[in-house]
Amino acid sequence: MAAFDYAPAIVLLPFLSFLVSLGGGKYLPKGGAFGGIAATAGSLLLSAWVFLTVAGGEVYNETLYTWAAGVGEGTTTLTFGLLLDPLAAMMLLIVSLVALLVHVFSLGYMNDEGETGLPRYYAGLGLFTASMLGFVVADNLLMAFMFFELVGLCSYLLIGFWFRQEGPPSAAKKAFLVTRFGDYFFLVGVVAVFATFGTAKFAGEGAFPVLAEEALNGASEVTTFGFAPETWFTIVGLLILGGVIGKSAQFPLHTWLPDAMEGPTPVSALIHAATMVAAGVYLVARMYGFYALSPTALGIIALVGGFTALAAATMGVVKREIKQVLAYSTISQYGYMMLGLGAGGYVAATFHLMTHAFFKALLFLGAGSVIIAMHHDEDMWNMGGLKERMPVTYYTFLAGSLALAGIFPFAGFWSKDEVLYETLIHGLGGSPLLLAGYAMGLVAVFFTGFYTFRMVFLTFHGEPRSEIARDPHGVRWNVKAPLVVLGILAATVGVVNMVPVEKLLGISGIDFLHQWLDGGLEALTAHHYGDVLPYSSAYVGGETTTVAIGAAVSLGLAVAGAGLAHVLYNVDDPTEHTAKLGAIKTLWYNNYYQDEYQVWLANSVVLPLARLADTFDQGVVDGVVNGVSSVSLFAGSRIRRIQTGVVTNYAALLTLGLVALLVVFGVMGGWFA
Amino acid sequence: MVPVQWYLLLATAVFCIGLFGILTRRNALLFLMSVELMLNAANINLVAFSAYWGNVTGQTFSLFTMALAAAEVAVGIGIILVLYRNFNDVDVTLAKEMRW
Repeated sequence: MAAFDYAPAIVLLPFLSFLVSLGGGKYLPKGGAFGGIAATAGSLLLSAWVFLTVAGGEVYNETLYTWAAGVGEGTTTLTFGLLLDPLAAMMLLIVSLVALLVHVFSLGYMNDEGETGLPRYYAGLGLFTASMLGFVVADNLLMAFMFFELVGLCSYLLIGFWFRQEGPPSAAKKAFLVTRFGDYFFLVGVVAVFATFGTAKFAGEGAFPVLAEEALNGASEVTTFGFAPETWFTIVGLLILGGVIGKSAQFPLHTWLPDAMEGPTPVSALIHAATMVAAGVYLVARMYGFYALSPTALGIIALVGGFTALAAATMGVVKREIKQVLAYSTISQYGYMMLGLGAGGYVAATFHLMTHAFFKALLFLGAGSVIIAMHHDEDMWNMGGLKERMPVTYYTFLAGSLALAGIFPFAGFWSKDEVLYETLIHGLGGSPLLLAGYAMGLVAVFFTGFYTFRMVFLTFHGEPRSEIARDPHGVRWNVKAPLVVLGILAATVGVVNMVPVEKLLGISGIDFLHQWLDGGLEALTAHHYGDVLPYSSAYVGGETTTVAIGAAVSLGLAVAGAGLAHVLYNVDDPTEHTAKLGAIKTLWYNNYYQDEYQVWLANSVVLPLARLADTFDQGVVDGVVNGVSSVSLFAGSRIRRIQTGVVTNYAALLTLGLVALLVVFGVMGGWFA
Repeated sequence: MVPVQWYLLLATAVFCIGLFGILTRRNALLFLMSVELMLNAANINLVAFSAYWGNVTGQTFSLFTMALAAAEVAVGIGIILVLYRNFNDVDVTLAKEMRW
């Protein structure tokens, strides 16, 4: 199909914009912004074309370039290729749309605010987009890993964009190091996949999830290094999960994400909605056929996700800065996605990934708009009353907040509800672990509703609490247009997957996302995953009742949280009620002391260990090497004395040698006998 | 017809004179001359055995040796000139800067 021939351009266009901005950005108007906008718009159009082609039932899974061909039997060939199936096509559309809107928004946030270094900024955005798009279309794990790392690099470059200040470079380093810690396990996992299966392809003939499934059925053999296949696949899965936990900011590697707020706000939107953080969850969805084989790995994913959702939501309750609240909400929402994936809700988690991409991009861009208006003051306690002064931002931000809190009928309600519903029925079906995850998810719904509307009320309602808030800076079309597009999406995108409506009213065929993810390659379809998954479902008094109860409970909790926020903060002159929480507030405000704990871990455990290793290295390893070399050195220093440099000596030695040889030959040959 | 042993004796004497020169002298020019003597001792042997066996191959070979000797002298003189330029002398024991 023609669309697939142009598919590499989806990745290459933003890359081209990166090169153009880097090389000639300072000669271009707006620091190269238009190049980036044109490139991402082109990517969006091509993505849409690919999407339509995939909707027509076509799938593309080809190797395009072999960069290291294996020689001989049993060797591995390393390739680049494209895998364009329903999941990838959907993700391409999301990433390129959000990237385009972020580029447009940047015109308002960066150019209009007179920032310097814009070519560097737009080059970073272009490379970031290109890396993520390349990651999305990757057809094998190694290629995915390479683009995964590129995404990490770009986040480093962009978070540290204002490198002359003190905070951003430090935050950038932290983001880089923390995610790299997870990626280390991912890299080991990639090698393990190669060593086990000899291939890292996601789909098609002899792909590694297929091989793993056959190995478990006994249909074929793979190298499992002496472990039972189930155990080994769990180990490999967990290794790769290390990278996912780092990138998707799951507990305990979530600490980089709130600090990453030091970067420019459009970058935060890109990181949180479509690129960096989404990459982790997308990776699990991409190789879900592999994870579905391992109940242990799934259980860990679900628990980590559920716990992260709850822990991050509680921390979000007490923050003062608008972007900090959003940062914790991101961690929490990705926790939901992990919970959904771990609980066997592949479609639900993917759905949440999609809706979250839209409403979180919206919220960040909305926050960006507020920050422009507030002259870059992010403290919510200095805001208030912005509702009348910036109505477009207010109503779009409200749509995003309703989606984030999961209020009917906004996008977040449908997806979060489905995640929780899948967790519930699979938990009832004999997996008590998932019920724990479900409980944590439910409690987090309440907190989400609360902190979301605390943020909305503090920012937009009541009386202005500072001079700037009384007379905010206006924003232009380039800020409003992306907000409006995303606002409409956040309000409506839930209709692509209205499972509760389908179940309750009996209207079949409106679970479009289920149908969409059921298309494409057989081994990558949702119902195939359903067959492989180790879960069974059970219901409380029938399926319909369970759906109704689940939806009612989560909606009720979200409304309760929002209502509490309304009572406490939707007043003319709100006060800090969080002080009533006492010690818990301090604990939450300091993020459960995770940063301190990790610094302590580094200083008191890792550093002595590293010192010990250094001593061993310097003393024993280097000692042996130095000992061996000193023997050679000493021998050389003595033996070199025969090299006098006087040609007469050499001639004498030659003659003596010749005479000696003659004598030996003479004696051996019996001349003197 | 002189018996071949006398030629061998002559060649041995010439070779030993050349060897003695190399082992005892320090002058580079004398080195070259001594090497010439040793080469010519070999030539005498080649020609003597050639005559003894009635085969001209040995004589032909000695022509090649002379050509080689000429080439060697050309190179050798060049080296000696450089030696003289650097050390103002042709004493071979002076040039030991490059050893360990």
